[in-house]
Amino acid sequence: MSSLRAVILSLSLAAFAGGASAHHSFAMFDRMQTRTFTGVVSSVDPGPDHLQIFFAMMNEQRDGVVRDAEGKPVLWSLELTGAASVAKYGITVTGFPPGTVFSGALHPARDGEPAGVLYRNRDNQGVLFKCPARVRPAVGKHCDSVEGATLHGNDTALPEPTR
Amino acid sequence: MLVRRSIPLILWCLATAAQPVSAQQTAARGAAFQGGAAEPVGATLPFWNVDLSTAKGGAAPRGVTPLQRDLFTSDDFYVDRELWKDPRYFRCNSPVSLDSMWGDYTTGPKTITGDDPKSGPWGHCERDTPRSALLSPYGFDSAAEHYAALRAEAAAAGGPIVPDYDSLAGWQARYTRNLDIEFEAGGLTRMQAAQRVAIPPEYHEQPQWLIGHLSQTSTILSLLTDEYQTRFVQQLYHVAHYNTRQWSLMYCRPEGFMREWSGPGFGGLDVIALPNLVVLGSGGNQDRYVYVGREFVEDGVVPRLGDDVRRWLGETVGFWHDANTLVTWTSNVRGWFTHASFEHSDELQTIEIFKRRFADDGRYLGLEHEAIFYDAQALVAPVRTLRFLARVGGLTDGPPKTFTHCQQTIFPIEGKPRHVAPGQIIEYEVPGYDRPWAVIFERFEGEMQRPAKPDIFSFD
Repeated sequence: MSSLRAVILSLSLAAFAGGASAHHSFAMFDRMQTRTFTGVVSSVDPGPDHLQIFFAMMNEQRDGVVRDAEGKPVLWSLELTGAASVAKYGITVTGFPPGTVFSGALHPARDGEPAGVLYRNRDNQGVLFKCPARVRPAVGKHCDSVEGATLHGNDTALPEPTR
Repeated sequence: MLVRRSIPLILWCLATAAQPVSAQQTAARGAAFQGGAAEPVGATLPFWNVDLSTAKGGAAPRGVTPLQRDLFTSDDFYVDRELWKDPRYFRCNSPVSLDSMWGDYTTGPKTITGDDPKSGPWGHCERDTPRSALLSPYGFDSAAEHYAALRAEAAAAGGPIVPDYDSLAGWQARYTRNLDIEFEAGGLTRMQAAQRVAIPPEYHEQPQWLIGHLSQTSTILSLLTDEYQTRFVQQLYHVAHYNTRQWSLMYCRPEGFMREWSGPGFGGLDVIALPNLVVLGSGGNQDRYVYVGREFVEDGVVPRLGDDVRRWLGETVGFWHDANTLVTWTSNVRGWFTHASFEHSDELQTIEIFKRRFADDGRYLGLEHEAIFYDAQALVAPVRTLRFLARVGGLTDGPPKTFTHCQQTIFPIEGKPRHVAPGQIIEYEVPGYDRPWAVIFERFEGEMQRPAKPDIFSFD
């Protein structure tokens, strides 16, 4: 592999979780907080700068999603880097259709709104786990514990949450 | 703007008739349009600023028996599916007519009276462009198959070729549609219009049915799958009933692939042709890149060049049949809509043939542009359109191009496009990625029997 190609490849891998090639500041997110979650996809917006996954978090029992006082699912937005860079890991509109159960880790918005940016480690690695269709993890567990789950990213495990 | 400034130069080529000058026909390209001299169907004809109503105020035209229930009187279009097949359900209006009867565009006559949808006007029930003329005349089931056949034809003729730069010099130019010239002429004074010079037949352009003014709505629906019929009627119902017109601009999204073929969405075409890359620079920087000689990856949902992400304008490969003919295949298009037209899906693919047209005396006139649309989700069979792109100048003639997409001037407020002034505070619902126009339409549907959607958040 030529050195130029190696540089390009390393840049594309590093770009997985955002930040390196971001087109806006991430100061709105609290990088000192890491939250792991399992959720149900509502939709995916494959923005060229940032793909966003809109989803409802599952409750601790994993038998439903968190809802507001009116019974509506509370939708979160999860921001990743550009759609093309995460497509390499199968994170696409077709790969994560509505109803997909998946798990990940995020840095939440500082203002408490239901939004976050995908967690990445010091090597810029991040990961999502997708459960098999309509399969839920056991109580308190995530998709990485489910047989047949698939890994999407350049990390291999979810981080320890800070809360 | 280019067209406006070029009127003195190009009005003389205002084409409406005469003998077709068609490309050489083969088994895969160049078949003549078989729809005859298509005429505007609906009551409302924007662009040309014409009211063609045959009856208004809820009355039916003489000799036409209206349906008991139609688009204008129905309180639930979903249950009327069987009636959609009858042009009278739409009062013999074309899609463009339905889209614009509240007074669309700056030139569109308002043909609904008293702001009452029941007063919807009637168009011409005796007019239509035959469905057979809208379908692709070629027997291919997929764009891949079609592209392979075109490449085989090129091979049989000694191609595809790799042209040198000099042989492509004539391609580099600015082009416009005959249609845009006609639009512009529609805004002239009567005196100016009377001074038009007859159009030479070599500038002939086939009827632009895809714009949606030359067909009964029921005929266009017959091209669509059940789901996409429903989507199209939903759009037309809401526009005709509530004037809830939806535009990409309202969501700050690009216009989508099919905008190129819409009435007002073209905006000229700049062609920069290199041996291995052709840039098709359309209005508003809606630029398409043709990667000559490259091959699609076909291991995914749709053929593509890059990552598995749908692109607003797709990705395009192509080859030079000869120095005067470019063949392209576009895939990986993001499904979207353009108002007054049917939605397309992520599976949309096109085969397009651009062929230079010359006059008998050797003058270069412009590009014949044939496009065949394949979309198994939206279309029951491939459709085809032909147009002529007249050369109007060199690449550096006229004003510079400007970027126009997502310069938001209107916002969806209570379902309708509204202008707001600086400092005004509005309630704004963030539109989603998936058919945001339909989300708004559904707000107006009350107790209609809309097909149920699965509850993705329920695990019962």
